[in-house]
Amino acid sequence: MATGPRQHFSEELRRVEAQGLGGLDLVIGQLDRVLEALEHQDVELAAMVIGNDDLIDGRYLEVHQGLLSLFALQAPVAGDLRVVAAMLHVIKNIERMGDQCVNIAKTIPLTGHEPPVREEVLERILRMGRAARTEVAQSKTAFATRDVALAEDLVRQDRCINLLNREIFQLAIDVGTDPDTREWAMHMVMVARAIERIGDNAVDVGEQTAFVVTGLFREFSDSSHPQPLV
Amino acid sequence: MTDQDLKTMDEQRISRDATGASGTPLRSTAGAVNASGAPSRPVEHAAPGVSIGGLDAYYGAGHAIKDVSIEYAPNKVTAMIGPSGSGKSTVLRCINRMHEEIPGARATGKVMLDADDIYGAGVDVVAVRRAIGMVFQKPNPFPTMSIFDNVAAGLKLNGIKGVDLKERVEKSLRGASLWEEVKDRLSQPGIGLSGGQQQRLCIARTIAVEPQVILMDEPCSALDPIATLKIEELIDDLKRRFTIIIVTHNMQQAARVADTTAFFLAGELIEHAPTDQVFTNPGDDRTEQYVTGKFG
Amino acid sequence: MSALAQLTPRRRTTDRVMRGVLGLGTFIALIPLVAVIYYLLSKGLGAWSWDFFTTDPTGNFLGDQGGVKSAILGTIEMVALASVIAIPFGWGVALYLVEYGRTGRFAAAVRFFVDVMTGVPSIVFGLFVYVTIVLAGWGGSSFAGWKGSVALALLMLPVVTRSAEVVLLLVPDGLREAALALGTPRWRVTMRVVLPTALPGLITGSLLAVARAAGETAPLLFTVAAVNGTSFNLGQRMNSLPVQIYTDVSSPSDALVQRAWGAALALVCLILLTTLVARLASRRSRLS
Repeated sequence: MATGPRQHFSEELRRVEAQGLGGLDLVIGQLDRVLEALEHQDVELAAMVIGNDDLIDGRYLEVHQGLLSLFALQAPVAGDLRVVAAMLHVIKNIERMGDQCVNIAKTIPLTGHEPPVREEVLERILRMGRAARTEVAQSKTAFATRDVALAEDLVRQDRCINLLNREIFQLAIDVGTDPDTREWAMHMVMVARAIERIGDNAVDVGEQTAFVVTGLFREFSDSSHPQPLV
Repeated sequence: MTDQDLKTMDEQRISRDATGASGTPLRSTAGAVNASGAPSRPVEHAAPGVSIGGLDAYYGAGHAIKDVSIEYAPNKVTAMIGPSGSGKSTVLRCINRMHEEIPGARATGKVMLDADDIYGAGVDVVAVRRAIGMVFQKPNPFPTMSIFDNVAAGLKLNGIKGVDLKERVEKSLRGASLWEEVKDRLSQPGIGLSGGQQQRLCIARTIAVEPQVILMDEPCSALDPIATLKIEELIDDLKRRFTIIIVTHNMQQAARVADTTAFFLAGELIEHAPTDQVFTNPGDDRTEQYVTGKFG
Repeated sequence: MSALAQLTPRRRTTDRVMRGVLGLGTFIALIPLVAVIYYLLSKGLGAWSWDFFTTDPTGNFLGDQGGVKSAILGTIEMVALASVIAIPFGWGVALYLVEYGRTGRFAAAVRFFVDVMTGVPSIVFGLFVYVTIVLAGWGGSSFAGWKGSVALALLMLPVVTRSAEVVLLLVPDGLREAALALGTPRWRVTMRVVLPTALPGLITGSLLAVARAAGETAPLLFTVAAVNGTSFNLGQRMNSLPVQIYTDVSSPSDALVQRAWGAALALVCLILLTTLVARLASRRSRLS
C-alpha cells in the first residue's frame, strides 16, 4: 500500500503500467499459438490467432485512454512523466507485434493443406519464433523491473534472430524449381520477416526502458549504423 | 526526433554530468530559448545578473540558509521551488536586503549585482532596494492613495525629482498590462481594484522606479487562475527589460514561466538547472522526489 | 422524513428566554444613560440663555450671578493646549513602540510604564504638578492655565499612547514592506505611509483622551484654581467648566445649582461637538 501524498496517482500509474505490460503477455500467447499452427499446419488455430488480435487492439485502446487521463488529470513530471511517455511507445510496439502475429497466421491457409515443407527452413523458423518469444518476455521483465542491463541484452538476442532471418532468406533462394515449393518458401520468407519485426519491437521496448531509467533516448542498434553497441 | 531536440538533450546530459552535488551553475544556453523551447522575444534592455556566493542567513540563533551559492542569469526568469521552510523566500529577501528588517535576523556572504557586492561595507540599503524591486504575495497597494499616486509612490516617497510623473505612470501601467483597464480612473483609490488588478498595480509601482532586478515572492498565490495566467504572461514580457527571480509553491507555475529552476531543501540549494530538465529528468534524487510529489 | 433536525419547542423557548434576558440587560444598562441625559436636559436647558453664554460669573451669591462664559472659554483653551502637548508626544511614543521597538527590553519597559500611567488617578497628576510646578512658582504666578494643561496632558498621554499603539499595530506589515522595498528610508515609511493610513484611528483614539481631559476636575483644582473673569492668558489663573460646576453645585442658591446643570450640559455638548468635527475631518483625510 503506497503511503505519502499522491497515493491515488501512484496506484493509478502502476495499474496502467501493469495493464500495458500485460499486452506483452498477450503477444507471447499469440506467438506461441501461431508457431504451433505453423508447425502442424493448423488452419483453425491460425484463425483463432487472427480473431484474438482484437484483444490486443482493445488493450491498446484501454491503456491509451488511461495514459491520456494521467496526463490530463495528474500532470506527471520527471520520472513519472517518462514512464507515461514510454508506455505510449510500448503499447504501440505491442500493437505492432500483435499485427505481425496476424500476418504470420494469415500465411497458413494460403500454403494449402499439405504444403511441401522443407525441414531445414521450418526448423529455423520455429527457432526464430522461440527466440522472439524469449525476447518479448525479457523485454517485459526489463521494463517492469527497470533493468537497463537486461534491456541492452536484448540486442544480443536480436542478432541471433537477424542471423536466422538471413539464413532462411538464403535457403529460400536455393529452394529449387518446384513452383509449389517456391511458393511455400516465399511465404516462409515473409514469416521470417514478421518474426524479425517482432524482435525489433521488443528491442524498442528495451530502449524505452533505458529512457525511463536514464532520461536519455538512445537507439540500441540503428539500421543506418550497423555497428552494434556493447 | 529533430536535430535540435537531440542537441538539447546532449547538452543536458553533458551539463548534468558536470553539475556537482551543490548544484553549481550551468553554462548558459546561447541562442535564447525559453522554457517551452520556443525562441523568446528579443531583449529590450540589458539587465544585470545576480550572483550569490556563500550566503548564510539567520533568524536569531536559527541557521536558515546554509552556504548557498547561485547565479541568476540576466534577462531570464529563475524560479526557486522547495517545500515550506526550505529557505527560498529567505534567500529572496536577502537579495534586496529585506531580510535584515526582521528583528533579530541577519545575513552574511556575497551578493553581487553586476560588479557590486550589495553586502559590502558602506553600501546604502536604500539604493540597493531601488535597484532591486520586490512584489509580494498579498497585493499591498497603499490604501490612502489613488491608483496614480500608488504607481508614483516609489518616486514621490523618495523625493525623486525631474521625472515626468504622468509619463512614467502611464509607461509603468502599460508595462504591467493595466493601463487600458484603469486609464479612466487614475484618481480612484488603489484598493478599489480586483485582486489580480491590485497585484498588477503593485507590479507597476515596482517598475516605475526602473529597477534592474525584480523579485517576486509567490506573486500569484492569492489570485484566481485567470489573474494568475495574466501575470505569468506579463512576467514573460517583463524579462525583456529586467532580470526576474520568482519564488513559487506552484510547480506548474515554475514550469510555465521560468527559464531555469532552483530546488531548495532545508536551507540548502540542491539543484539548479534549465526548467525542462528539472521537470523531465532531474539530476538529484531529492529533486525528483519533490517534483513528483513524494513529499513536500 | 427530512434529514434536517427540526427546531424543537425546547430550543425555541430557550432562544426566546435568552433574547429576553439580553434585552432586559440592555434595557437596564441604558437606564442610567437615559436618566443622565434626561436630567441634564431637563435641569440644564432651563439655565441656558443668551446671558448664560455671554457673561462671566460675577461671583455674587445673590442677585445677578452671571453666566459661564469664562468657564467655557477656559476649558477650551486649557484642553486645547493639553492636546497640543499630549497628542504629538503620545503618537510619538506609540510610533517608537510599534515601528522601532517591537521587541527589545527598553520598549517593553516603556510599554509597562504607559500601562501603569493609565491607571493613575487624576488627582495624583494634579498633586504632582502642584508640588513640582505650582509651589515652585515657575513662570511667575503660582496658579496658571498652562500648568493645568500640563496636568491634563499627563493624564491624556497614556490614553493617547495606548490607543495609538493599537491602531498602528493594525496597519498591515505588508504596507511597510512594500514601501521599504521601494527603497524608502524607514522614517519616511513611518511618516508618509503608516501615519496617513492610521490617521482616522489615531484621531478617534485621541478623542477619548480629549473627552476625558475636558471633564477632569481634580487636576485643575490644584493647578489652576479659578477666577471669574475671562482670560486669554494661560500664564494666569483661569476658569474652567468642571471647576465652575464643582463650585456651583455645592452652593445653597438654587439659581447657582441650576447654573451648574447648565454648565454640565454645556460641557457634554462641547465634547460632542469636538467628536463630530474630528470624525468629519478624519473621514475626509481617508479619501484624499
